[in-house]
Amino acid sequence: MSQVITKRARVSRRAFLKGVTLTGTAIQVGLPPLVSMFNSQGTAYAAGSNAAGKVAEKAIESRFVFWFNGNGIPERYWIPSRTGRDFDLPPCLSPVASFRNDIHVLTGLDNSAASVPGPGNGHHKSISGVTTATPFTGHGAGGPSIDQVIASKIGTESRFRSLQIGVSQESFGESIQRNMSWAGYNRPLPPEMLPHKLFDRLFGEREEGWVNRKRSILDTVRADALYFKTVLPKDDATRLDEHLSAIRDIERAITGLPDNYRRVEAPEYDGDMKDWPRIAKLQSDLLAQALVTRQTRVASYMLTKGQGLSRFPWLGLTAARHHDYTHADGRAPGADGADGQRVLRDICRWHVEEFAYLLAKLRSIPEGDGTVLDRTCLVYVHEHAEANPHKNSGLAMIVAGHAGRLATGMHSKVTGTVGDLYVTVADDVLNAGIGKFPTATRKISEILA
Amino acid sequence: MRITIFIFLAGALIAQAAETVSFSKSLYPVFEAAACRSCHNTEGVASGTKLQFPEQNASAEHIEAFGKSLVTLINSNAVDESLLLKKPTNRIAHAGGERIHPGSREEAALKAWIQRLTALKGEELAKALRYREEEAKQGGSVPDVAVRRLTHSQYNNTVRDLLGDRTAPATQFPAEDFVNGFKNQYQAQNLSPLLVEAYGTAAERLARNAFRPGSSSGLLTCKPSAACRAQFIRSFGLKAFRRPLEPAELKRYEALFAKEKDFTSGARLVVEAMLQSPHFLFRLEETNNPRWKPYARASRLSYALWDTTPDDTLLASAKQGELDTPEGVEKAARRMLDNPKAKQALDEFISQWMRFDRVLTSTKDRRRFPQYTRETATAMTEETRRFISDLIWREQDFTKLFTAEYGYVNADLANIYGVPAPATEFTKVDFPADSERAGLLGQALFLALSSRPDETSPTSRGLFIREQFLCQHVADPPPGVNTNLPPVSEAKPQTNRQRLAEHTLNKSCAGCHNLIDPIGFGFEKFDAIGGRRAKMQLRFYGERKDRETPPKMVDLDLDTTGFVAGIEKSNFTSPKELGAVLARSPQCQECVVKQYFRYTAGRTETLGDRPLIRKVAEDFRRSNFRFKELIISMVRSREFPGEGGPVRVAGNH
Repeated sequence: MSQVITKRARVSRRAFLKGVTLTGTAIQVGLPPLVSMFNSQGTAYAAGSNAAGKVAEKAIESRFVFWFNGNGIPERYWIPSRTGRDFDLPPCLSPVASFRNDIHVLTGLDNSAASVPGPGNGHHKSISGVTTATPFTGHGAGGPSIDQVIASKIGTESRFRSLQIGVSQESFGESIQRNMSWAGYNRPLPPEMLPHKLFDRLFGEREEGWVNRKRSILDTVRADALYFKTVLPKDDATRLDEHLSAIRDIERAITGLPDNYRRVEAPEYDGDMKDWPRIAKLQSDLLAQALVTRQTRVASYMLTKGQGLSRFPWLGLTAARHHDYTHADGRAPGADGADGQRVLRDICRWHVEEFAYLLAKLRSIPEGDGTVLDRTCLVYVHEHAEANPHKNSGLAMIVAGHAGRLATGMHSKVTGTVGDLYVTVADDVLNAGIGKFPTATRKISEILA
Repeated sequence: MRITIFIFLAGALIAQAAETVSFSKSLYPVFEAAACRSCHNTEGVASGTKLQFPEQNASAEHIEAFGKSLVTLINSNAVDESLLLKKPTNRIAHAGGERIHPGSREEAALKAWIQRLTALKGEELAKALRYREEEAKQGGSVPDVAVRRLTHSQYNNTVRDLLGDRTAPATQFPAEDFVNGFKNQYQAQNLSPLLVEAYGTAAERLARNAFRPGSSSGLLTCKPSAACRAQFIRSFGLKAFRRPLEPAELKRYEALFAKEKDFTSGARLVVEAMLQSPHFLFRLEETNNPRWKPYARASRLSYALWDTTPDDTLLASAKQGELDTPEGVEKAARRMLDNPKAKQALDEFISQWMRFDRVLTSTKDRRRFPQYTRETATAMTEETRRFISDLIWREQDFTKLFTAEYGYVNADLANIYGVPAPATEFTKVDFPADSERAGLLGQALFLALSSRPDETSPTSRGLFIREQFLCQHVADPPPGVNTNLPPVSEAKPQTNRQRLAEHTLNKSCAGCHNLIDPIGFGFEKFDAIGGRRAKMQLRFYGERKDRETPPKMVDLDLDTTGFVAGIEKSNFTSPKELGAVLARSPQCQECVVKQYFRYTAGRTETLGDRPLIRKVAEDFRRSNFRFKELIISMVRSREFPGEGGPVRVAGNH
């Protein structure tokens, strides 16, 4: 963006807002961070005025991105051997070399919920534990995932409380393998995996009068649902409540849609939908635009599915599938022993490459006195630590961005649970005030500056 | 799911009040975490043992009473010798392996409860000993499910019948999950915001298309007027909500209609809204509203038999009370089974029961199976679909599912089966006598979907047969167990059987794997895409860089003797022999009924459903296993449980 500061006009953000939520709060939507809207230091939104008079300057909000990859890692190719600022970058981490000051490599945390006896195989348990810190229920995760808990605190005034974005369209598996975001016990929130559909949700053009029509429809549907609820037994009524709450979400998304808002180019719709590196980048572009236009503050990004079975033609790996390579059991040609580990190294490096792409994107967009990455916190997790034994202790993660008090530019080896990390990120980095999360008993102070 | 709570063993309750140790709080969660119930239930693989857990969602009183009934499994003179302690800790051979670790907190909870049981005396003890009788007398409960969300398949069919729209919008919705073996299970029918948004987007497009000039929907037939508006809302509402609109609803939709100045736009707005209304998206399974009752029945019949919305005839039958008697329902059901929609509906059931998705999304090692393509996978599903569909609609003995010595073959499958390619695709072809193929288990679909990319998986084949055809759930591996087998090396080549022997050497694996692996061993003459093989061939490839040197191949002799633990005289060496065993197994016959029940009811069966299952199974047998009669019996029994069906616990809605 190349605005000339001296020509800056004092445009109130509120001037662009079209709707208010049911509670009457203004919705923050759909505008790129025009320099004109920042105060002269670029640290807060410029004060505007409303009917009541002057509005105080408001700090630019921080955002949270929760990133997930299926299967585990080859620890020897992923975990730096040195801790502290002088940490080394093993082969898997080489793509984030130019971001070493924007990341905090964090190793040693335990996914303790995955070790609770109960139903499910090593994958079911790990996915449930690493996303929600609750044990697998037999059908799904046992509670809300960290992105949803954070969204319930900081996402309520955005057009979308949270976004779930996916890349790999692999159909294998059940809901626990296909979803990283959970609204609650056994309630998966499926990711949008098609770039053109995601684009349409975020920036799609609407016909004349669309907002009013949609609102009238939703009013009618809401009245139907309220009536239906009264004739149903309690447990079924819960399902109607889910419907009603989704209607509220949609209403907010609709009323928050500004007229004629088309600043973002649509992605190319055609092209190979199995070319995941391409899809991953399109989705990262859209995610960055969604954050920068303040349509949401919270997102989850699922690059590959839990227990993923994809092949990787772009890495030259077509003989066996991701999961086959993680278990060096000799069944998959080329997946045995040390060779399997080397292949897994290449796969995991690709994962980090796509993560680095999103970091680059966020760092390239100026916002106020810095970039979007400066006010974003990303937490990158895998299903397991070492892939073959489905290891759930000593996980390797990346916490990235400069939101809040996040300390970066180092590798720390810590003890604690994923729940500990999530509460630290939520409360000490994002100021979300979630207070507690399953398995959390202490803060991971190492990640705080 | 709600279960009406019944007073269970009032005596035990009173004793409970006096006693502070709670079984349901202290020990039951330990048992649940150890997944004891997954085998020890009335239908599970351990149903023949002395221990059977109450059904899921049993009341707290029921669970407490069950806890006390465990007194029969303890030895009060030497508590450490109690079966209740020694079995789950695998101190004496437990088929399910070690579920509770000796020395753990869980074991301490178990010991504490055993101690508590030693103190039972007098009437409390007598009650505990009468537990089984009392439980049987109660007959169990049936969960009340009042509404079910349209499945994606039902959504597509419904908009086709409602608007003439064949674009199948639901294929774009977030995928549905398999739970209890099917994609339509009540407990998994969540409404995520993304799905509700997708409903909105689909409704917008469907409504727009329905009112495009030249559209075939024919929704507006009268000249614009207030009367026409009301008539349109009433008639479209009746079809969309599958019942007449209430006056308040009519008013609400008239108001919505009137928001548009243009008449057609008003109608379009109504259609778009109704397609998002919970009255459209959910269908009533039960209702106390007397006006809605006959229509709820019409919907149940229609979605069960047609997988779509009731037609005008069925709605008229509901209105005229023709569905109020068992005979009326049977008559309507038979009419419906003659409609092609019934065949399509059963195809959906077959595709889920036989897990077509697993072969359609599977990949095979291209170096070993270059002939396996997407078309081959589709051909496999088409063969099985035609095969089962013909058994059903040509009114064959359904146990031929396991014994028929023919398949429906196209060029791709002929290649795999080693028979000449037929002139027309999917011709009925007899399997060669020496092929040892019979029924579904000899078809490529089953053999391929239960295999890995390069090799067969006897474990997966055994598990599929246990779960799909015997309706037995086998517990997941205990937590923390490394499920990987040691690799096969050139130095020590092994068959799958030799390799899987590891499972039976390890006590924590043996319990469950003894139930499943030996079934799979009987299929080892068939490779990972269902081709016949005389020997098992191992291939050892060189370095990844070295693509020129062909792999080193090692051929190993096969031992294909297998058996089904729990079924007498079930030794077999081929799909054909196992097919004969399953075809005559009452457990397998009843499982067919259970699978259809789960699909139709949208939930798994409970103790309270057993009379219904038994009755339908009996009708099925009496009809010499005509699947159409199973359907009729299921529909009739579900609608009129009084006729020997379950004693339904009254709901309050």
